[in-house]
Amino acid sequence: MPEQLLFTRLLNHWFAGPTTAMLQALHIQPQYREAPITNAVAMEVLVVALLLVVFIMVRSRLSVESPGGLQHMFEGVNGFIEGQSRDVIGHHSERFTPFLVALGLFILIANLFGVVPGLESPTGSPVVPLGCAICAFVYYQVQGFKTSGVGYLKHFLGPMWWLSPLMLPLEIISHLARLMSLTIRLYANMFAGDMVTLVFFSLIPIAVPVIFLGLHIGVALLQAYIFVLLTTVYLAGAVATEH
Amino acid sequence: MASDPQEPDKKNSWVQMANYAQLAVIFPAATVVGWLIGVALDRWLHTTWLYIVGLLLGIVAGFVELIRTAMKNSS
Repeated sequence: MPEQLLFTRLLNHWFAGPTTAMLQALHIQPQYREAPITNAVAMEVLVVALLLVVFIMVRSRLSVESPGGLQHMFEGVNGFIEGQSRDVIGHHSERFTPFLVALGLFILIANLFGVVPGLESPTGSPVVPLGCAICAFVYYQVQGFKTSGVGYLKHFLGPMWWLSPLMLPLEIISHLARLMSLTIRLYANMFAGDMVTLVFFSLIPIAVPVIFLGLHIGVALLQAYIFVLLTTVYLAGAVATEH
Repeated sequence: MASDPQEPDKKNSWVQMANYAQLAVIFPAATVVGWLIGVALDRWLHTTWLYIVGLLLGIVAGFVELIRTAMKNSS
């Protein structure tokens, strides 16, 4: 059985039975029946719980006259993403802000978990970046259909009608490649960051790993930002209408 | 909020950076996706050659996306 973090062990202690039963009902056989919840899933649950608690705290203390530090911080994050999506998508981009902020914060917190002792980055496991990429992919396709209706399919047919039999498979592959590139970039960067930190901790456990922890924090911020920015660029392409 | 005249350029350069960061991965990703679709079709239709078609389409799709992104950013 793989090594379990404390939080994973707790979740497996409480929820192993119902989780195994649910997986078997879906005809999925867990590798370890007594520990079906992996570290990545447990860390994802922790990220969501943490974000929920913070959002509830911010919501309950919202104030126009005397906004607190947390409110200022989240207003800043929201304003930053909103401004960026306005620059990339144009007018009427505000409706995408909640999704982009939620996605960005989830990835950022998940990435930063790697520098906290006793926790690990769920994004260092390929399934979590894949899940985020699938969310982004489904979201921008749905928004494309919502904006242009069936006319959105024209995006897949190329500029000239006689080229469409060739362009259709190419566009389908291009869109699926975006899914893969989002996944691989985030996973590879976080996995490599974790490995570098781990290796230097085992080689020189004093002072030197701090540099690599700093690097890991920088990579975590940059990768979360790039993920959100590319999702915004894809959204801009999907909701763009030809005049 | 006071507007900085250099701000749109600065933001635009971040978008360009993200697009260029994508360039390094998009070509191999498209090739692998094309190959995977071909392999899946081969298994489904009991053929042995569709993976080559998928692979070629993946390479072409990668080039198209590469050129499209590069041209969009340079224009």
